[in-house]
Amino acid sequence: MSFSMFMSGVGGQGLVLITRVIGNACVRSGKKAITGEMHGLSQRSGTVFAHMRIGEDVFSPLVPYGKADILVGLEATETLRYIEYLKKGGTILMNSRIMHPPVETSRVLKGKGTKYITVEEIVSKLQQWTRNIAVIDALNLARDSGNVNTENTVFLGALSTLEAFPVEEKPLRESISEAVPRKTVEQNLMAFDLGKKTAFDSLCNLVPCRRRVDR
Amino acid sequence: MLCNEAIVRGALEADVKVVAFYPGAPTSEVLDTFSDALDSFDYHMEIATNEKVALEVCAGASFAGFRSLTAMKSVGANVASDTLYVLGYTGVRGGLVVVIADDPHAHSSQSEQDGRFFAPSAYIPMLEPSSPQEAKDMVKQAFKISESHRVPVIIRTVTRVNHQSGVVQLEDMTRKEFKIAKWTELNEEFTTLGEVARRKKLKMLERTERLSEEFDSSEFNSMNGVDSEVGVITSSISYLYTLEALKILGLQAKAKVLKLGTTYPLPRKLMSDFVRGLKKVIVIEELSPYLEKEVYAVAKETNPSVSVFGKKSKTFSEAFEYNPDIVAKGIASALNMNYPDYGVILEEAKKLKSIIPDRYPTFCAGCPHRATFVALNQALRTEAAKGKKHYFANDIGCYSMWIFPPISRSDSSLCMGASVGVANGLSRTIEERVVAVVGDSTFYHASIPAIINAVHNDNKFTLIVLDNSVTAMTGQQSNPSTEFTAGWKQGKKVPIENVCKAIGIEFVEIIDSYEVKNNVEVFRRALEFDGLSVVISRRECALYGDRNKRRRGEPITPFHIDKNICRKAYSCLNTFYCPAYDLDEDRQPRISEEMCDGCSVCAKLCPYFSIKRVEAKA
Repeated sequence: MSFSMFMSGVGGQGLVLITRVIGNACVRSGKKAITGEMHGLSQRSGTVFAHMRIGEDVFSPLVPYGKADILVGLEATETLRYIEYLKKGGTILMNSRIMHPPVETSRVLKGKGTKYITVEEIVSKLQQWTRNIAVIDALNLARDSGNVNTENTVFLGALSTLEAFPVEEKPLRESISEAVPRKTVEQNLMAFDLGKKTAFDSLCNLVPCRRRVDR
Repeated sequence: MLCNEAIVRGALEADVKVVAFYPGAPTSEVLDTFSDALDSFDYHMEIATNEKVALEVCAGASFAGFRSLTAMKSVGANVASDTLYVLGYTGVRGGLVVVIADDPHAHSSQSEQDGRFFAPSAYIPMLEPSSPQEAKDMVKQAFKISESHRVPVIIRTVTRVNHQSGVVQLEDMTRKEFKIAKWTELNEEFTTLGEVARRKKLKMLERTERLSEEFDSSEFNSMNGVDSEVGVITSSISYLYTLEALKILGLQAKAKVLKLGTTYPLPRKLMSDFVRGLKKVIVIEELSPYLEKEVYAVAKETNPSVSVFGKKSKTFSEAFEYNPDIVAKGIASALNMNYPDYGVILEEAKKLKSIIPDRYPTFCAGCPHRATFVALNQALRTEAAKGKKHYFANDIGCYSMWIFPPISRSDSSLCMGASVGVANGLSRTIEERVVAVVGDSTFYHASIPAIINAVHNDNKFTLIVLDNSVTAMTGQQSNPSTEFTAGWKQGKKVPIENVCKAIGIEFVEIIDSYEVKNNVEVFRRALEFDGLSVVISRRECALYGDRNKRRRGEPITPFHIDKNICRKAYSCLNTFYCPAYDLDEDRQPRISEEMCDGCSVCAKLCPYFSIKRVEAKA
């Protein structure tokens, strides 16, 4: 069995970190994982993404088009930007946050009738690809954890509830504790739990989830 | 483990003693990892001024018998190539490994250059890994090859190999003590010129013959056990795409695959044996038909009737990187199989995506470059109003992003330091004032000869040096403008103004990038100066500054807009394009406190002083 996931976001949201956390959690649980990441020029508030593949019979670090089981979007527009990687009817877990790029703001400012894109518009497009879409307010949950930079960890918590996601909660928590700055471990684990909770309340109404055990 | 980390691990297991780099995507994490590990091991490390110097640092150490390694991006190898070619002649003593990382698709480079051609033209052996595991194994083996044949060894990667993570089996690190050598006891010479060069050329050819034979049985070339009349020859990342594509097509047990890890010299006997008996051979490699040409040559001798599918047959393109779908489509077409066209999926996705705005890379919130450009643009507009127009020569660094919308302003942008070089020629051939821009790292890397040229030949233009203290674009590595060197150890700063003044530039002014209003005037004077004028715009990289602040435990206090004062003049937005800004439902400018770096520049631009620092919470 193999599992493919595509993750995207905006440079600075910590995508590289969660890719590493999941990869390390796989190693902890004896699973083979490969990733295809993008570092460099793309980091500056530009679009960032990571391919993640878990299983014995995966070879390419890049997910073939239409083959990802899950599409994770740390930012709403960046979720739709990579829709071609998701299999039809696959699962989308995305942030309700939109970070409007300067080019869009500049357009809205100049054109009187021009409006910003909305989450509703994005979701309506995504629905033409799949009905399994969970939108979470990761930024607010991150704030609740006491560290606004933990949006990425909120997503890890949400992912951990999914039956299809091949990594268990325990190795994920261990990898998080190891990967994040020592001072922020507690906040990150809190963010993880908040992500888990919100997923049980939203995502898990759509797709099969693990048994709910609240901490 | 990221492949770039696996490269470091391989070198440490091989007891590397000297490493030197100039950072460049996709190899920068090799440098960063060595820098992070410096305190734990006894190797010498330098972040060099450019790739040529880095290679020479390693060559020097190798002459003294030390194992050394450098890594550079594709175009970095152009800079280092002068030395690389000569090392093929002179040979080396301690193992010398040169990692060259190409960037098919030009993700973060100015071209899609195929660096494999350095190997045959320099007669230097080359290994190409597909995965992190293989990268580690190859680096280790490369040191042995280098020492047994007395030649540098190239490890050639591509972005998708460097930035791939996977599980890597580690081996022991048996490290010997770093002991300074005695040159007089080594009794060697590393020269080449005229008669000596001619003698060494012949030896180089013999060496290549020996290597070719050795590579025929290299562990890095492998064949799956399938017996078939269809064969695939591939290497590097394309090998992994091939395996995936064969799985997609259900051909795993139906096609022979020859995976080449030693791509110079190519194992000709092995390739001959593979091609013999095949009806169809599919060559899968990104960029130029490097393997394919050899396959044609081999086929001509051993199996002239075999059909070759690759670039020449138009099965695959020489442009851009591949992926599993492109490879599957190519294999299917070579075998006349039906394969659902992925173009349909892409087309469908494209329609849905038409509503989302582009997201170009842009200057970070707090980036000093943005502030510099705001002042420069204002000065240029003032000059233009007086009928004095200009030419803008951009260069390589974060400031390259000046070419992306909504800013989009550059007349040229070539390669490291070239803005100053072309400014020399342009200043003599166009009537407009030429403005060239380089960063601090680019200044030291490749600009200095062109600046001296301008002084010596009295070429009149304006050079702006954006000094943000670090090599920002590749991840904020130190450079001669930083008080630190590799491993964040104390280094000696080489002030840019000292260099400029020492070579006789009369107009050298230093400005604080954030002081936009004052800077307009300085730029205006620089533009009007009858000679070479240099403005050094100084302010540390925002990301680097934030990192330092966090380390010191200092807060980053964002700004906000006081709605009661703001009169929607949009001065903050119109010229500044800061990613921390957007508009609310009432078209009221708004600052995202999560993104704001607290640089204060926008606050200074507001005519109504409505932008204020957020009060610290009690």
